[in-house]
Amino acid sequence: MTFAPDRRDALKLLAMGATAALGACGRPEEEIVPYVEMPEGVTPGVPMQFATALPLSGYARGVLVTSYEGRPTRIEGNPRHPASLGACDIFAQAELMSLYTPDRAKAVAHEGGISSWVGFETALLSQMEIEKARQGSKLTILTGRVTSPTLARQIQALLNAIPAAQWRRYEPVHDDAEISGASMAFGRPLLAMPRLDQASIIVTLDADPLGPGPYQLAYANALGKRRLARKDAAQFARLYAIESCLTLTGANSDERLSLPPHLIRAVIIDIANRLGANLTQETLPENAQRFATAVFEDLRANPAHGVVLIGRGQPAEAHALGHWINRALGAPVDYFPPVDPIASAHVDSLRGLVQDIDNGRVESLFIIGCNPAYAAPGELAVGEAIAKVPFSVYHGLDDDETAALCNWRLPLSHMLESWSDLRAVNGVASIVQPLIRPLYDTRTAHQLVALMGGTLSASPYQLVRETWQSRAPGGSDASWRQWLHDGIINGTANAPVTPPNPTLPNIGPLEAPRGLSLAFAPDPSIWDGSFANNAWLQECPKPTTKEVWGNSIHISPSDAAANHLVAGDFVTVTLGEHSLEAPVDLVQGQASGVLGVTLGYGRRRVGAIGEGLGFDAYRLMPIETSWAAQDVELSRAAAQSPILRTQRSFHLAPERKDVYPTFTLVNLLKGEIDIPESPALPSLLPGWEYESYKWAMSIDNTLCIGCNACLIACQSENNVPVVGPVEVSMGREMHWLRIDAYYDDKPTPLGFQPVPCMHCETAPCEPVCPVEASVHDSEGLNVQVYNRCIGTRFCQSNCPYKVRRFNFFGYATDEAYANLDAQSFNALFNPDVTVRSRGVMEKCTYCVQRISRTRRAAEKEKRRITEGEVVTACQSACPTRAITFGDLNSEDSKVRDLRNEPQHYEMLGHLDTRPRTTYLANVKNPNAALQGNKS
Amino acid sequence: MQPAARSYEAVNELVSRPLLKPEELNWKFWWIAFMASLAATALMLVCILWLFTKGVGLWGVNTTIVWGFAIANYVWWIGIGNAGTLISAMLLLMRQHWRASINRFAEAMTIFAAGIAGLFPILHLGRPLYFYWLAPYPNTMALWPQWRSALVWDFWAILSYILFSILFWYAGLIPDLACMRDRARTRGARFWFGVFALGWRGSAHHWQIYHVYHTTMACLGVPLVVTLHSVVGMDFAASLMPGWSETIYPPYFVVGAMYSGFTMVIALAAAVRWGFSLEALITVDHFEVMAKILLAASIIMSLSYMTEWFGAWYSGAHEERSLVAYEFEGHYRALYYAMLFCNCFLPQIFWFKAARRSIAVVVVVGLMINIGMWIERINIVWMTLSHGYAVSMWRIFHPTYWDYLLMFSSLGLFALLYLLLCRIAPIVSMHETRRLLSQGAQQ
Repeated sequence: MTFAPDRRDALKLLAMGATAALGACGRPEEEIVPYVEMPEGVTPGVPMQFATALPLSGYARGVLVTSYEGRPTRIEGNPRHPASLGACDIFAQAELMSLYTPDRAKAVAHEGGISSWVGFETALLSQMEIEKARQGSKLTILTGRVTSPTLARQIQALLNAIPAAQWRRYEPVHDDAEISGASMAFGRPLLAMPRLDQASIIVTLDADPLGPGPYQLAYANALGKRRLARKDAAQFARLYAIESCLTLTGANSDERLSLPPHLIRAVIIDIANRLGANLTQETLPENAQRFATAVFEDLRANPAHGVVLIGRGQPAEAHALGHWINRALGAPVDYFPPVDPIASAHVDSLRGLVQDIDNGRVESLFIIGCNPAYAAPGELAVGEAIAKVPFSVYHGLDDDETAALCNWRLPLSHMLESWSDLRAVNGVASIVQPLIRPLYDTRTAHQLVALMGGTLSASPYQLVRETWQSRAPGGSDASWRQWLHDGIINGTANAPVTPPNPTLPNIGPLEAPRGLSLAFAPDPSIWDGSFANNAWLQECPKPTTKEVWGNSIHISPSDAAANHLVAGDFVTVTLGEHSLEAPVDLVQGQASGVLGVTLGYGRRRVGAIGEGLGFDAYRLMPIETSWAAQDVELSRAAAQSPILRTQRSFHLAPERKDVYPTFTLVNLLKGEIDIPESPALPSLLPGWEYESYKWAMSIDNTLCIGCNACLIACQSENNVPVVGPVEVSMGREMHWLRIDAYYDDKPTPLGFQPVPCMHCETAPCEPVCPVEASVHDSEGLNVQVYNRCIGTRFCQSNCPYKVRRFNFFGYATDEAYANLDAQSFNALFNPDVTVRSRGVMEKCTYCVQRISRTRRAAEKEKRRITEGEVVTACQSACPTRAITFGDLNSEDSKVRDLRNEPQHYEMLGHLDTRPRTTYLANVKNPNAALQGNKS
Repeated sequence: MQPAARSYEAVNELVSRPLLKPEELNWKFWWIAFMASLAATALMLVCILWLFTKGVGLWGVNTTIVWGFAIANYVWWIGIGNAGTLISAMLLLMRQHWRASINRFAEAMTIFAAGIAGLFPILHLGRPLYFYWLAPYPNTMALWPQWRSALVWDFWAILSYILFSILFWYAGLIPDLACMRDRARTRGARFWFGVFALGWRGSAHHWQIYHVYHTTMACLGVPLVVTLHSVVGMDFAASLMPGWSETIYPPYFVVGAMYSGFTMVIALAAAVRWGFSLEALITVDHFEVMAKILLAASIIMSLSYMTEWFGAWYSGAHEERSLVAYEFEGHYRALYYAMLFCNCFLPQIFWFKAARRSIAVVVVVGLMINIGMWIERINIVWMTLSHGYAVSMWRIFHPTYWDYLLMFSSLGLFALLYLLLCRIAPIVSMHETRRLLSQGAQQ
């Protein structure tokens, strides 16, 4: 059959297309309330910010989303939200890319073919008839962690209607050990949240509070308050880390000791015994003994200001003992009742599902927003179980491994397209408001659950409003608008509970494992794998190894030497019946005898970006002790491939203090610091004069925890392209802002250093450009004129900081990696920033578009830009507020004050480049008693 | 040093024979060489077209080592282009009349090499279509080039040098073209040689103008040769990178250019001598003299290298010393040793007269030096960029096959131009050789 429209038909189709196009993209139908400006005042080209919340493992982080005429382009932290405090982690910022990816599930599919929501509704209603008849005894709903009060209320209502139905939930990065440890200690499940801003001595035992996770921003913020090295520094916390894999917390610690998990357990017992626990104890190795003694002396010297944190790799008893220790120390810890409505352990919940399916007790399975066929311990064989269910429904964002096994595959609306609500760890609720109408024919989980209850045309907006109706006085619109505006609902925070005295758990030493141990962790770039198809995150370097586009098995140099391995060699790791083959990477801070792996890679079905990268560590994950496995076997495999990194050289010679000086707190307080010199060399040329503004940035290396939030912020704000693994292997990544990690001869990094453009006063790039594409502006910015650039690259070859980036190919335009040139990704671009073409040089601009926007506003009001009015993207994302930006011409500028701090220095200042971006040197607070400790 | 051909007519006959009586020579090898170089030139065109289509990402350049083969090739070709004029102009002024036998093809070599060299900076650009922005032309943007940039100096240096070389070469050719016109047996040859001979009649007045003009041009040429490669050296020296920012660079580059250029002259001299049976004009004595120059140049180069090492040590700057250590121990150390072997060690064989008088030895050593000089140029580009100030950005350059293809195919273009030249212009300066004979007779 051929389609041959005549003229009239063609015009009709054209008109129809035009109408459809008009309605295709736009603001949601219901009113959403902007954060700073009223919707009536919408001016084309002037962005608005809306407060909403985004989940990570179900927990909310409050965000402000910048929207241009109904198109969200930028996500930043909501200062009012307790899990954000104005900062924004990499996952939340990268949600934009997840929203616009063309790989998303877009339409309802049934078995092999495409279907429709009507088709699904018909099938569902008849299935629900059957289920209702048997009280839902063969119906199971599987979700991730649900903190949405509305969704929980809906599911509960459904369960009330069919009481025999099961609601199970499984979160790949779960906290089973923490929760059951608290139950063991206090007799009830509680979530412990240490108040790090009130602690002077922080001891992490396999824990990683600064690492990725839903509380990262809050912990980093709190710790940052206690690590301000200023002239009047009164209190500076000391951070001890005892861990088996190098985490961000360990990388930022003052004293660090690598130990295998069973010895960490022994250290916990040792500390408890010194506090009078009287538990059976084994003798610690000499270095661990010394370390434990130093830790204990410090804890004792700081009563009520010391706290220990136990990591998820330790069993429940160790967590219980941790609570006991904290109580004995009088540690500043808040305890909250879990927000999660389901009390059972995640692993038990999932195992129960598999058993139910195997026993034929599940005929209708609804999987909402989680991917257990991939993200679950391989031993459970969840995928095989799901495939057995006769009526299985998958409702998710991606067409992933689980979707492939279900009869019905339903597209889920992205959180930026949905009305919903979410709660943070401490219970604070936020309304999730949509920034854009669903791009595709997707629905929210609220709609699906309502559909299961028989409501065909449920409005998520109404459902959410109903949930919160009781809290609004008289059901008023005013409070609803206030909640939307603020991004949080006042008064929903759970009050910390005062738990009873913890009982001392029955815990003893563990036998040393015979072989190697294996430690699992969520990936610092793609978390549990749910961000695997996100190109920004795939190309986001892992903080300590700078690996991108894959994962590797981390092995200590001593173990590697014993097995004759070098970085990039493939090994086969076998645990029981399961094995995997993967490259090893030598990590200095890795404990001997422990291999470290991260989850989230080896995706079999997710989309053009994420498939076929790295290896799937879930396959080796044990069911019982999810985060650690013992007695794994390692053997050399034939393959070899280099590890892809964005930084190749990590070792900093002691002479190179001009790049990254480090000081101890003691030296700083005594004024015994040797700052690299920045002599002003003579010049024949007159200096620049700045009559208006004089922009400058100051970065505090002490505060930088290396979390990459600024890097992704910069990428998102400035339309920085992703280049893909092949181009990274050629050494051509485009990040305008890089975070350098430096090591000396010790296994713990010296620290991290974010490096944007230095905007030098006497910029080496400026005089060498033959066409004056690199020029100095009247406010001291070193600007790059893309239209004028012909690509000689002389600027970058003469840049001592190597901060310029060249478009060797049309990364953003004609030669994008994989599907990054898809139409839908065009919506991702910030309209205020030029998308650079092939053959031009680009670099950090100090977010000149933000400066201009602020200047326009100030000029309209005939005033100067005030302190703190211009916030660069990197600065806004930083959880520890390590980045300060401002005007050196202003009397009250903070950045000017920071230049008077004793540890202030200019990187490579001896070259007389006179950089505008300057640094505060990294200050560590080591324990004198551990001097010369070789961990 | 006298040509073996003893009469003016013998010189004229020897030189003009390939052009006027091609049937008397065997052209088999010429055709083989022509087809091979034509293929290589076609390959170069493909490389360039693909480069323009896809972008400089085809090459191994990366964010740290933003300059690669293109810059090394450029410096190398310019170096070769230097020697022709150096031989012609400097030796003319210094009355080294033995140069008469070799200056014509050395000058042609200059033009071709400088022309090819001039291509590379343009190919190297991210947006090559805008290369003319380097020129100060009136435009609607009211923008001029940035005069502080060494690349603009470079642009002028190459442009003026190429223009000079063409004028100088052509002026020297005029009396010979007239000679060819007079000896030509076909109407076409008479016409074309006549047109390009510009009405030269060989009158005393003509000769007087010619000598004034030619000597004046030579006086201009010597400083141009020196400035050209000095400016190329400034592309590096006018930066602040360790290993580049050195005052020794301009003279060091000039000597390097002469060094590599001379080796190319030797190779071409041997080829022309063999190809056109010019043993009577280009004698072993010529090779011996040139071998001596190579020996002297190698000593100066070795001294330059040592000065660099000393300078790095004496500066006390960690990154300078670290760079020298990197040269000897780093990733490219094999190339660095190869460079020292070719440029410093191998030429010492010319202390022996037997080696200097063996054409095979001189040619082979010359080619090795030329390879060594290319390695020197790529080392200059790579070492500094790979091991600069920003430790975290230390990287390695991985050449792609496009890098190699373009480099080798540019040799094909050079050969093609040369082979064509052999068929249209006298390859040895007849009038200067005759003059040399007459001077010999007077002595």
